[in-house]
Amino acid sequence: MRKQLNKEVAVFKSRMNRKRALIADTFCLTKRRRCAADSVTGESQADIRSSLQYLVTLFSRKLFNDSLPPVVLKHQLYSLHNDKTSVDKQVVRSDCNKCSTWDSVQSHFIIITLMHSEALVFSFPRQNELRETGELLMFQLGFDSEAFALVFAEDYRAKVLQGEAGRGTLGTVEKFLTKLIPSCSDLSFNKEKMLKEFLFTDSEITQLVKSGVLTVRDAGSWWLSIPNSGKFIKYFIKGRKAVLGMVKKSKYGEILQTELEGRRTTSQVKFQMKYHIHDIIGAELVECIQTTSGTLLRYVDGNVN
Amino acid sequence: MLSFLYARQSGLDDPVRLRRAESTRRVLSLELNHNRDVDRIHGNGINTLDIEVIDGRYMLSGGSDGVIVIYDLENNSKKPQYTCKAICTVGRSVCRHVHKFSVETVQWYPHDTGMFVSSSFDKTMKVWDTETLKPAEEFQFDGNVYCHHMSPVARKHSLVAVGTKDPKVQLCDLKSGSRIHILQGHRGEILSVRWSPRYDHILATASTDSRVHIWDVRRASGSLFTLDQHNGDKSKTSSEAVNTAHNGRVNGLCFTADGLHLLTTGTDDRMRLWNSATGENTLVNYGKVVNESRKGLKFTVSRGCSPEFVFVPCGSSVAVYGLHSGELITMLRGHYNNVDCCEFHPDYQELYSGGKDCNILAWVPVLRQPDIEDEETNSKRGGTHAAINPAFEDAWSSDED
Repeated sequence: MRKQLNKEVAVFKSRMNRKRALIADTFCLTKRRRCAADSVTGESQADIRSSLQYLVTLFSRKLFNDSLPPVVLKHQLYSLHNDKTSVDKQVVRSDCNKCSTWDSVQSHFIIITLMHSEALVFSFPRQNELRETGELLMFQLGFDSEAFALVFAEDYRAKVLQGEAGRGTLGTVEKFLTKLIPSCSDLSFNKEKMLKEFLFTDSEITQLVKSGVLTVRDAGSWWLSIPNSGKFIKYFIKGRKAVLGMVKKSKYGEILQTELEGRRTTSQVKFQMKYHIHDIIGAELVECIQTTSGTLLRYVDGNVN
Repeated sequence: MLSFLYARQSGLDDPVRLRRAESTRRVLSLELNHNRDVDRIHGNGINTLDIEVIDGRYMLSGGSDGVIVIYDLENNSKKPQYTCKAICTVGRSVCRHVHKFSVETVQWYPHDTGMFVSSSFDKTMKVWDTETLKPAEEFQFDGNVYCHHMSPVARKHSLVAVGTKDPKVQLCDLKSGSRIHILQGHRGEILSVRWSPRYDHILATASTDSRVHIWDVRRASGSLFTLDQHNGDKSKTSSEAVNTAHNGRVNGLCFTADGLHLLTTGTDDRMRLWNSATGENTLVNYGKVVNESRKGLKFTVSRGCSPEFVFVPCGSSVAVYGLHSGELITMLRGHYNNVDCCEFHPDYQELYSGGKDCNILAWVPVLRQPDIEDEETNSKRGGTHAAINPAFEDAWSSDED
């Protein structure tokens, strides 16, 4: 009654494989408990870092005359890792230390029994979130409320100071960076915070805005930003549109990922093809289908480009 | 599987574990079955489904033409081939009390099947007597009624929370017929209301102003708290979007069976899981959950499985996600047009979904295939995919217990 095309059968079979694994897991629960302590989290944190480093290599530095630090978007990580929630946990700072999911096998549980037979359950995340330790900075780029940019802190610091060299605002910017990098992981700052916590004066704030480290968000609040990133955003959006157009114009609106990587890029696409491909997969602008000939990217209708 | 049975028999494991493992296996193998069908009565799309809680036998459906139908889900025919018959219909020609416009929500009275409540775009909410199929009570409102909900656990009160075009949430009392209790706080149309299955005084409401409020109806002051997607971190978002649950209209609400977590869906194509006691966003990332519904979206969570699953209508298919992992398990494809509602039957682990193609589809867990030795019975059955068979054989042989 409801027939399926060959590709759909391939999709079905791959789904069945995943379901098989899940079903097998359900019945092998006892075995899992007896397994030695999972080294999965240690691995996954190293994985995130290595994926970030891999994505950094895809970023074209020469395009911006080496004035921008390599920028990676958070959703590009989703295309490399299956579990979006764990990627988020490691990259986004969680405000509380309490474990709010019920089945995180990867956290320690420490139970402290108090008087009156009450018990407090603490769970400490095993991995140090990359942003907590100050290694990674996150920025709100502005063209999409869900698109966040990630930059390694040392790269950011180096490039900003390089750009500021010889200007009068250098001292203020350095002061801001030393305050920002180790401890703070906010995306935006309001006036109170700047004046009271960071002890900046109004004129210093103006200098920071002029140098590009802060951009105006609202009356009395500023986003943290990357200096000279306007060009980056422009090229990025154009490139994304062009790559999506390539997928859309293909026959049936779908194309194998390997074929797309091999295509010649138009002049609109300034970044490497792989950079854009990770972006459109991670942002779910195309549907990723596993087939016997590789990954197929199918254009998803209803995209607002 | 055998190890589970042995452990239960010898007392090593709680009986619940076997039940949960088997329920999970059944939910993971949901499929369209050509043996099970639901009578096709509606001439227009189906907006809402509800299965009664007591027996799980009768199902209500409300359609865009104002028709309400009651189906009998139980199979007494002693044959595997079964069509769920429509027992009675509140139809356009039959009943003069029928709703004039589309029925948006129907719900059985939580304590017995003698009564059900339906609300519709003709600005009324009717309380029906199932025996006579006549409305015992009718509440008039000023705007379209998007949704209503009665608390499934309440014994002390029989309040029906109603969400309409008006930003005020109205509570109608079935015992006295009064509706003076109003909850103020929203600034847009109320698209979804839901009582907590854990406490009979906790109510969650979702609105087009991107906010979800949690109320305690016993209190005289405003809402308890609002759900904030950034958990109070005001720096992550632009200043207008501070303290919102979604970046668009919030149009779906569902509590998990234990009432400890709340799921919300919004037109920003996101689904979020919240801790219902503190209002904290658990930050589980489900990815893009396509949502273009202008009205409320009716989705459901499984019960009795571990891990739990969320069934969300996504376009013309139903997406199944793992509740706490956020992983997309599968997409149930079968409808010809948009799916509007889905309902989970906890006793048989079946899913019923209704949509604009006027069909109600029953997704039934695939039965275990008989052993390979019984070759005759195997050849008679056919139809079910051989892919299931090796999976369970593997599970059996790998268990060394």
